Amino acid sequence: MRRTLAIAALLFAATVHAETPRDFLTRFEKEAGSTASAERGARFFTTKQGGEWSCSSCHTERPMQAGRHAKTDKPINPLAPAANAERFTDAAKVDKWFRRNCNDTLNRTCSAQEKADVMAWLLAQK
Amino acid sequence: MSTDTQPIRVWDLPTRIFHWSLVASFLIAFLTAESEKLRDIHVAAGYTLAGLIAFRLLWGFVGGGYSRFAEFLPTPRKLIDYIKSLIKGRPQHHVGHNPAGAVAIFLLLGFGIIAAASGWATYEDIGGHFMEELHEGASNGMMAIVVIHIAGVIVSSWLHQENLVLAMITGWKKIRNSAHENPAG
Repeated sequence: MRRTLAIAALLFAATVHAETPRDFLTRFEKEAGSTASAERGARFFTTKQGGEWSCSSCHTERPMQAGRHAKTDKPINPLAPAANAERFTDAAKVDKWFRRNCNDTLNRTCSAQEKADVMAWLLAQK
Repeated sequence: MSTDTQPIRVWDLPTRIFHWSLVASFLIAFLTAESEKLRDIHVAAGYTLAGLIAFRLLWGFVGGGYSRFAEFLPTPRKLIDYIKSLIKGRPQHHVGHNPAGAVAIFLLLGFGIIAAASGWATYEDIGGHFMEELHEGASNGMMAIVVIHIAGVIVSSWLHQENLVLAMITGWKKIRNSAHENPAG
């Protein structure tokens, strides 16, 4: 019973406090110890980095648009915060999807610098 | 030796095939959970798991002897008696599922249903972030039960000097005549 309650509590304890997309840029720049480059982010996002997919394989090269899952063909909501206010507002979600998607595209985790660059580029999309 | 032990048919073929197929489908689903490249395999494994559980629910009512839910439905009384016997160091011997194992089985089936349903909903973009969290919670719950189940199998095999893994493969257990205190079946 206690186990069930603990699991239920965990399920509902989704992060309550919200972040803004800028917070993530700040955080990744701090972790990387250098400023981000939107230009580098664009290149990173749209070209393959060793794996058979790039970020843009699913999210397209224009993240203001909706994407399409490269395997299942399911629609994916736009990634740029200017097009989708829900993006980059929850640290747990952001960390989870960077972990998963970096592994799919790079076969490794992304560095803080890479994430900072991508954030800078996504935030520049209007 | 052969005079005081007798082989007894415990797990019927459908139950055994179900058991090992569930092991395979859950393992595949768990290992492919994080990858978008393997998403179709993950989804196929999840739907297989759902179909297997649907079969098991049916088999729990129409299947044979020790596979029926009525045979191992864990009441609080049975569970308390069983745990007491463990504490005393003289564990009750059950030919089929012991009461603690029975609780684990119903939890596993319950978590499996939730995991499959919330996984389907997530894949179809229904229910949003909540369904995603529910899916991960239920799946991790399943894995926790699996770990406890495996520990229980090892401890129980050792306590009663019987190979429970082999029994789930062959369907047969060797039962000491003197230990025949569970007449159901």
